[in-house]
Amino acid sequence: MRQAGTYSRILSGGGISGRTGPHLLPLARIKKIMKKSSVDVKMISGEAPLVFSKACELFIVELTKRSWNMTIQGKRRTIHKEDIASAVATTDVFDFLVDLVHPNASQHVDLNEDYAP
Amino acid sequence: MVDEQDKLLPIANVGRIMKQILPPTAKISKEAKETMQECASEFICFVTGEASEKCQKENRKTVNGDDICWALASLGFDDCSNAVMSYLNKFREFEREKAAANQINENNVDEAAAGSSNSCKRIYHSK
Repeated sequence: MRQAGTYSRILSGGGISGRTGPHLLPLARIKKIMKKSSVDVKMISGEAPLVFSKACELFIVELTKRSWNMTIQGKRRTIHKEDIASAVATTDVFDFLVDLVHPNASQHVDLNEDYAP
Repeated sequence: MVDEQDKLLPIANVGRIMKQILPPTAKISKEAKETMQECASEFICFVTGEASEKCQKENRKTVNGDDICWALASLGFDDCSNAVMSYLNKFREFEREKAAANQINENNVDEAAAGSSNSCKRIYHSK
């Protein structure tokens, strides 16, 4: 007898994605974005978009968590673009996003810290 | 317009993932969700680029799940890389079990087909 949730349980391991099914993000769309990333990307295995569906989920969760910390610091309850920009500016691993987010991100960071002798 | 959206993950999905980690009373502005969409796409491109470079150096044409895991670790997403590796291994295990189960089912179907054709012959003969 086919048991509901078998697939999602195996893949999610009981994590947060277990609540909404096996994939929170559409694999076809992920594959499109991967192909557009570079002309050198010619062939993509079936597993790669699946791996990204999990990786993106974790990425969005981490960035959201850090953005929310900025929101709380500002004594607000709504996450704004500036909160994401601040989170990016204060996290080394998100350096690749600095140019993408709002250019006023540096306002939330003490620049003197970086340039002190 | 359609082409623009093709480069982004759906805003509803992105919003849902963001909500999962936030308290119920938290709100997310539309602009913040759109920013997160763009960040997620940039993340995919960034990691794919790194994985693709590795494939090229090793003269391989296909970017696979292991390449993505390697690229994540290489770019500093260590926790993400470990979690994703574990996810990938579970998926591979599941696929192996599914393939094995399908093989057994196919064998059973073949046996049943052979069995039923024999019983049909017996019925016709009895008439």
